Formats: sequence, structure tokens, C-alpha cells
Amino acid sequence: MASEVANAEAPFVLAVPSKGRLQESAAAFFARAGLELQQGRGARDYRGALTGLPGVEVAYLSAAEIVGQLAAGAAHFGVTGEDLLREKVPDADQRLELLAPLSFGRANVVVAVPQAWIDVRTMADLEDVASAFTARRGERMRVATKYVNLTRRFFAEHGVADYRIVESLGATEGAPAAGAAELIVDITTSGATLAANALKPLDDGIILRSQATLVASMGAPWEPAARASARAILDRIAASEEAQRTREVRARLPGAAQKIVETARERFGAVSATGDDADPQNFVALHCARADAAELANWLLSQGADRVSVAALEHVFDARNPLFERLEGRIGGGEGY
Amino acid sequence: MNSISLGAAAQSARSVGERALEHFLAAGFVRMEPPILHPAAVFLDMSGEEIRGRLFLTSGAAGEELCLRPEYTIPVCRAYLASDKSGKTAEYSYLGPVFRSQVEGGERAQTGLESFGRKDAEAADAEIFALSMEAAVDVGGPLAARLGDAGLFDSLLEALALQNVWRRRLRRGVAQGRSLFAILDGRGASALAQPGVLAALESADHAGAKALVEDLLAIAGIDAVGGRTAGEIADRFLEQAALRSGEPIDADKRKVLESYLAITGDPDDAASRLRRLADDAKLDLGRALDAFERRNGFIAARGVSIEETVFSAAFVRDFDYYTGFVFEARDPSRRDAKPALGGGRYDGLARRLGASADIPAVGAAITLDRLPNGSAR
Repeated sequence: MASEVANAEAPFVLAVPSKGRLQESAAAFFARAGLELQQGRGARDYRGALTGLPGVEVAYLSAAEIVGQLAAGAAHFGVTGEDLLREKVPDADQRLELLAPLSFGRANVVVAVPQAWIDVRTMADLEDVASAFTARRGERMRVATKYVNLTRRFFAEHGVADYRIVESLGATEGAPAAGAAELIVDITTSGATLAANALKPLDDGIILRSQATLVASMGAPWEPAARASARAILDRIAASEEAQRTREVRARLPGAAQKIVETARERFGAVSATGDDADPQNFVALHCARADAAELANWLLSQGADRVSVAALEHVFDARNPLFERLEGRIGGGEGY
Repeated sequence: MNSISLGAAAQSARSVGERALEHFLAAGFVRMEPPILHPAAVFLDMSGEEIRGRLFLTSGAAGEELCLRPEYTIPVCRAYLASDKSGKTAEYSYLGPVFRSQVEGGERAQTGLESFGRKDAEAADAEIFALSMEAAVDVGGPLAARLGDAGLFDSLLEALALQNVWRRRLRRGVAQGRSLFAILDGRGASALAQPGVLAALESADHAGAKALVEDLLAIAGIDAVGGRTAGEIADRFLEQAALRSGEPIDADKRKVLESYLAITGDPDDAASRLRRLADDAKLDLGRALDAFERRNGFIAARGVSIEETVFSAAFVRDFDYYTGFVFEARDPSRRDAKPALGGGRYDGLARRLGASADIPAVGAAITLDRLPNGSAR
């Protein structure tokens, strides 16, 4: 009942990190898509807006809060690390849709053991050593981590049963040296912190390759206004992503361009920039993958063009938006509204 | 509305439970009501981290991790050890809720019984099995039972004189229900990529190996060993070096294991097949087999029709603290039924809970909503 009279004024909520490098990177990511995050006045204001999209409210939250709000349906979109999603939301694939990896905040969640364990390189070694440890001492090996759930799932997949988790909320990598644990599961970017603590990651001990991810909540209220906001955000993101992947290649050809456009599609996966039939003046503008641009240009020269220009693009909007289609596939087409 | 119907279901489980409990009280098992709250570490230490997701966790005033009891055996054993009966013969029954996060409503009713300190192990095994079956069948309908013997399997592994590492892996693997092939061959070659070290160790003894490991660590400039001693690392190298040479387990022994694990059927038939296997392989399983047959006799004498009960050599419950007889029973009309009754001998638990020595113990638990006429259909 309540959902039918849901407040039509309820804003679309986009949750972003409230501090540090993640906040800067998220702001830069949205800015690249032409979406300026405007934080409320004063550094302590945790609500903001998105330029040009009045229906969107930006919530500045800690990483853990973002995950919680997404899981609870209190935020529609959020930017957060996949590590926290997988750790904190047991049925993440049901409750959330991971729309796009954002290529920043990259880090791996790894299993690391003391370097002195020169006989341990793989999870199979660890399984063996852990069970011998228990048999010999009557106690289980202790694993310090804040990733309790990820650890449990990963160890179970590898048949490692003889261990105990010691929950650690900071400086996990120091636990073995402090005698609080035998090994750790922690997040690492370069491995330098591990090495500084005389630890080494196991060869097959990467639990998760994490990065910041744009996530949609399945439990959020997806009314028409919220869908429109989602569509607008995803259109701009898709347009800027597509633009980054794409180069525009232009030339004028001596003869009929139609055939050239067709061959360019077959050989280089290029599409006509406007989608129209070739220009009667035999002018062509093609979009192709960045890496293929030079080759396509050369080929156009070989086909008799005098001069070929290759240009970077700011945005490429397309009638089809795979990001939004994926979201729509999950939340339904909204016919009921 | 909802709460009333839930209450009614709990009510009916309770009265079924009370009728089952009467069987235990009549047999002299004193009712015990152990605490609901326990240190989580007790259950995690015994059963491993895998159960963490099923526990209701909370924390005490000092920040210690506590949980609601997920079962009764450990709570009853703790209460017994804390009492003035500790180490002596004592027999308890219980009835009440256990708490599991994956169960609808978070709790389910269990009743059961635990026997501590009895020296006549096989008679005690038979009594617990028979009494729990009688009670469960009386209040819940017909059940099909499966028996196993973790102690017999341990005796076989010992009689085969297998290396420790293989005993450990076989015990664990069989308990997890994995095939012999998966246990022995499924793990690929030794992952150790230091064949040079292994070769150097092939003829070394513990002291030599330890010296070598210490040298290696010194050369690498590593001084903190972290949890394991250089001696332990050396022993593992020795173990790996021994495993590297040749087949993990020779063909004859492997065949014995295969035949053993394939034995299933009527317990008396199984006993004679086990004797034949031991004779053919010239393995001394005499004591374990004598005990096995004695127990079969006691169970038959209790009036439990043993033909309805299947022995399965590969059935070893997946808890390290089960040391002998194990059993479970389920609704025979449903193929996917989970055990409504389970139990076994756990002589090792008391010591792991802090007693100075093993204390003979055997028990059984009935999960009321899994009985054929229970509500979890």
C-alpha cells in the first residue's frame, strides 16, 4: 500500500565517498562525464547536488555507509569498492547491480603468510600446514582480517578448514608480528606494506581484484522520476566512456564512399559517425576503436584519400545505452507506473 | 496473526519434544538447562569458522565475542565439566531452542541426551542410539538410520601404517564425503617449488633439516618466523620430500581403503565383511572389530531391529571431536530429508573444552521440526 503513495518528490540518491582519494577520483569520474558534483556549503555538509540534474541528491558517506545504504535501498546509485560490497552484502548479486568498474581505487584482497614460511606458496600448502598445525597443537591457526565473510568463502572453496578468524579493524598486517595471528587476509595495492611486515601473498591467494564500482540498488524505489535520473546519469557516463574508447576518422574520397564505409565496418569495426548513408560528396566520418584509428587512416589513404584527420571526442551519445539496459533488465521496464 | 501461528508451531514442537523428553527422563537422564549464551570461540574452535555464518553473534560488556547456543552438546558438556560431577558418570537430557541464523525465525527446538563417564562404551553407545531412536520414532514417525564408526576408520588408518600427512588427509576427506580419488589424486603435484631443497632433504633427519631451514632463513635475512618454528617448517619439508618420492600410497593399501570405504549394508553382514577384509590384508583390527560386534549385539538386545539400520564405512561425521560410533536418522519418505536425529561418541571433546584428560561421552540430538510429522516439510 505504502509504495503506491510513495512521495513523488523523493529524490534520486547518489552516494559517493565523503573523503580522501576515493572522493577525488569519484568527483573526477563524474566530471569527465559532464556531471559536476556540488558539495553543500561548508566542508561538514554531507548533502550535495549534481549540476544540471535537479532531481538528484548526492549523499557524501563513508565507504561502509554507502554499502549499507545501497543494500537497504536508501540510495539508488553508489560508488564504492567491490571488496566492501562482497564482504558486507552476502547476497550482493541479488540486491545490487554492479553497473561499471571505474578503474580507480584498485586493490587486491589477498591471503598473506609470514615470509619465513618458505614451504608455503599456495592455498594447498596452507591447507596442509593448517591441518598439521591443529593436529600438533590442538589449536587452530589464527587469521587476522576485517574481511570475515570473504575469507570464510575463499577458504572453504580451497578446503581450508583448520583456522580461526581474529577480527581486526586496523593495522591487520601487524598482527603476525604482534603474535595476534599466524596469517592475514587484507587489502593491498602494491604489496609494499606486506613486505615491510615480513609477509608474502600466496601465489593463488588473491580473493578479489577490487576497484571502485558504480553500483545500483535493486531495493531502492524506482519510480519514473528515479528512472529518468538514472537514465540521464548513465547516458552521460556511457557517452563519455564511449568517447574515450573511440576516435573519429574523417576523409574525402575520390569515388563512391558507400563501399568504403561498408569495408571499413568489416575490417575495422568502424561505424559511420552520423549513422546516415554516405555523403554524396564522398565525405566520410567514421568512429572506430582508439587502437584501430591509425590503421584505418592508413587504409583510407590507400583508398585514395588525400588527407585523413583523426580526432578525439568529448561525448558520444547513442540511442542504445547498454548500461541503462542492464539496469532496466533488473528493475523491470516500469510499465506499472 | 503471524506471531500467533508461529507460537502455535513452536507450541506443538514443544509438546512433541516434551513427549520425547519423557522417554529420556524415564531412563534416568536428568534434565539439564544449560545457558543460552556462550563464548563464540568455543563453537568456532570445535567446529571451525565455517559455522560462523550460522551463529547469532553478540558481544559482552568487555568486548568478548558471545553467541547463542547453536546446539546442545557443547553447552551440556561445559555445564557437566563445571559441575561437581566432572569426570564422574553423569547422564543428562535436554529440551529447548537452539539458535541458527539460517533457520526461519532463527530458532528451532531440539531435545536429546548426553552420557558422560561410562566405561562400558559399546553398551552406552547402544543405549543412546536405541533410546533416541525410540523416542524420535514414537513422537515423530518412522526413521531410516545410518551408522558409522570413526574409531574403526582410525584403527584402519593406523593399521595401514600410513604417513601422518595421509592419515590426516584421509580422515578429513572422508569426513567431508570426498572420494578416495579426490583425496589422493585430486590435489595435483606438491605445490612446493623448491625441488632443490626437497632433494637436499631426502636423506636428512629432523635436526639436519632444521639446520638447513635456519640457514635458508638467515640467508634470506628473515628473522621473525611467525607462529611456526623452524623445526615445524623443517618437518613439513621432510614430509614433502618423503611424499615426493613415489606414489602417495602403495597400490595394495589403496585397494584396502577402497574396499573398506565401499562396505555398506546390514551391520552384521558388514561386520563379517570387515573381518574378511582385515584377514585378507593381514591387518590387526581385532579390538576395533570386537567392539563393533559387541555394539551390534547390544543394539539388537535393546530391541532396535538392526535390519532397518544401514552401516556405511564411509560415514564419519565431519566434526573432529567424534572418535567412535556415529549415527544419524532421517525421514525415509523424503529423499532430500536432512537428519532429524544425529549423534555419536565424542571422547575427545571434554579435553578440548579444558578437562585434563579424555572423558568417555556419547550423545544424540533430535531436531523436532525435521521429524516426519514435524513442521519443516
